[in-house]
Amino acid sequence: MNGMLTGIANEILVRGQVVVLVYFVAVNGWYLILLLSALLELRRHMLLISDESRHLLLSSTLSPTISILAPAFNEEATIESSLRALLALQYPNLEVIVISDGSKDQTVQVLIDRFDLVPVKTIYEQRIKTKEVRSLYRSSTYPSLVVVDKDNGGKADALNVGLGFARSELVCAMDADTLIEADGLQRMVRPFLYSTDVVATGGTIRVVNGSEVSFGRVVKTAVPTHFLAGIQVVEYLRAFLFGRLGWNRLGGNIIISGAFGLFQREAVLSAGGYLHDTVGEDMELVLRLKRLSYERGERGRIAFVPDPVAWTEVPESLRVLGRQRDRWHRGLADVLWRHRRMLFNPRYGVTGLFVIPYYVFVELLAPVIEAVGLVSLALGLVFGVVDWNFAGLFYLTAYGLGTALTAFTLILEDMSFHRYKTFRDRVLLFWWALLENLGYRQLTVYWRLRGLWKFLRGRKEWGVMHRKGFRPVAPTATR
Amino acid sequence: MVSKHLLDMVMLAEVGLLVLAVGLFFAHGIWLFLRERRLLRLATGARTALAHLITSGAVNVQDIEALRKLPADVQVITFLEMARTLTGTGKDNLRFVAEQVGMLDRARKLCESRLWQRRLRGARILSQMDVADPLILKLLADTHPAIRAQAAEWAAAQPSLPVIAAMLTLLADPATQARFSVQNALLRMGGIIAGPLTGFLETHSGPAAEAGLRVAESVAEPSFGPAALSLSRTEDIGVRVASANLLGAIGDAGAAARLIELLADDDSRVRAAAAHALGRMQHWRAASLLAERLRDPVWRVRRAAGLGLRTLGAPGALFLRRATNGDDRFAADMAQQVLDLPAAAG
Repeated sequence: MNGMLTGIANEILVRGQVVVLVYFVAVNGWYLILLLSALLELRRHMLLISDESRHLLLSSTLSPTISILAPAFNEEATIESSLRALLALQYPNLEVIVISDGSKDQTVQVLIDRFDLVPVKTIYEQRIKTKEVRSLYRSSTYPSLVVVDKDNGGKADALNVGLGFARSELVCAMDADTLIEADGLQRMVRPFLYSTDVVATGGTIRVVNGSEVSFGRVVKTAVPTHFLAGIQVVEYLRAFLFGRLGWNRLGGNIIISGAFGLFQREAVLSAGGYLHDTVGEDMELVLRLKRLSYERGERGRIAFVPDPVAWTEVPESLRVLGRQRDRWHRGLADVLWRHRRMLFNPRYGVTGLFVIPYYVFVELLAPVIEAVGLVSLALGLVFGVVDWNFAGLFYLTAYGLGTALTAFTLILEDMSFHRYKTFRDRVLLFWWALLENLGYRQLTVYWRLRGLWKFLRGRKEWGVMHRKGFRPVAPTATR
Repeated sequence: MVSKHLLDMVMLAEVGLLVLAVGLFFAHGIWLFLRERRLLRLATGARTALAHLITSGAVNVQDIEALRKLPADVQVITFLEMARTLTGTGKDNLRFVAEQVGMLDRARKLCESRLWQRRLRGARILSQMDVADPLILKLLADTHPAIRAQAAEWAAAQPSLPVIAAMLTLLADPATQARFSVQNALLRMGGIIAGPLTGFLETHSGPAAEAGLRVAESVAEPSFGPAALSLSRTEDIGVRVASANLLGAIGDAGAAARLIELLADDDSRVRAAAAHALGRMQHWRAASLLAERLRDPVWRVRRAAGLGLRTLGAPGALFLRRATNGDDRFAADMAQQVLDLPAAAG
């Protein structure tokens, strides 16, 4: 009897391993398709923007108006420099709305003092129910600046308030500590100029850790030497340059980063704005916009534009990074659950038939399958039912091909935008790409599993993000 | 269970891929470094020679010869870099030198290419150098939307009746890539477009007419009046809104009369646009009608009416104050909000 049970257990272990191996082959095969798609899309994009002149956009009365919505919560230390950088963005018809989401520190007072704010009244339509607005300010020195002070309600609530006050055709949702490059909006607005069926566009997010920042602008890019930050540089490059760009060409982008996205204001308001009760409010909104477009028989394109760049600080501690990844995965699970009726539903075209299944089976369930694979591989090796050759094959398929794909993403970056210029950066990038699979990736599996578990238990807290602040330019020596 | 041979094959393939990636990555880095160094060296000399030719205004055969010998990519970089900062005689001189060194001829050839990326590049060079060339008419009808958009941008600097006619055809372009470029270019051409645009508005409807009305609003010639009046009676809501905006910009008696009719339109966007337009043209005789719109069931119409009354000055303020004591709570609230606005707010 014991022998029979052992035999069944062994059989399960072995067959399980084969299933997991096939899964990894399929996933990596799909990644390869995405990479090729990204390569074609990037080539087309680079040809389109080469020698492009955007000065007409800057001086045209027909350029669409943009309102930047910058929610801020306890940002007294960084708000001034971030806001000065926003006000200096090179775009005509720009309005900047800072929404203090019940900050408990001196955020609002700092803004009042440094930007000559005066309390004003305005007429606005509250199409989305939000927490109460305490006061509204305008700057006497910067006519395009509006500051809203409101009760705390979370980022989604703050953005909804901003949507109500915004006057522009387009709104740019961002984090208050994101550093947008000076010409970022000019670049990101392109799809709206050329097409009437675009509802949202997203730009690239890059890691600012390690780079030098002066007056809210990144003045010298560098790959960080810190292990966690360095690996995240590679991760971000892969996510944006190959993931989103690849999906762009395949017609199925459904993610726009909450740190830097441009939306048609009316489309967002008609869709009901941002949801409060989810931690993945940015992805949820984009997917809702896409779903509503299908249901109304419209195209509702979500476009990723690779050249506009916003810089963000990534966590350098395991605890904070773990919380962030856990929250991202909870958000993903929540959003996919809310829109589950789109899964394999031909009514939702490419999104329903390919994109949602990809996010469910590749992004959402990957940590589960990876964990099962790793655990059963370990058990198999211990009990001697899996040989070392199989273990080697498993590891090479699961991780080796991933490393090669990451390496090709680095080549894509180098051949297109080439932001990391020195030999040191080049070596570091490769180093982090190689190290990513030795421990870090397994940690992300754990964090994502934790997120999934919390989602199943219905937990929706955000956690706290500790920021170190940007590295300023070293003062130059003077005689 | 798994043969060692298979494992070796997979390992070999992955090592091969990695080596290829590493090789490409670093080889590309070296190539970039050498290219930048070469560009820097060549472009520095070219800039000096070019600056000398442009400022002196005299033909220096040696300088031109030196520029002609430069690789094509260095020529383009140097000339376009300078083109962005020059106007008038300086730009004329630059164009002359570019013609002499053969850069413009090459650009013209690129415009004839079968590959869209080459045609786009050619169009960009000619456009940034402000070259007047009949090729533009051909490119305005190109099959690739990005090339049409670039040609439209180029056209802004050379307004002529055939070019305007081709641009107006593009306003009805189904591939919308060119729409902003076309509208913007027409706007930059100024008053010369009034006649052809009037004809366009008289013969088009739907999104094409809406785009035309948008351009017309910025030019605001009285000759657009009859077409705007006619288009304000179409079924298309967007066209009616754009017509109301144009009528507000033109601002004659006929426009005011029609805008008053549009205050009772079935669609709230049209009513709001009409209220806004009446305020914009400061048609104080419509004050009582705007005050009625403060009772409109739709917020945006009430807001437009309130702000419209505000721009009318004293007569509008009188109606707003009266509305604050009226029986309609929504009208009273909107009127009070408008009256509370600071002087500079809109």
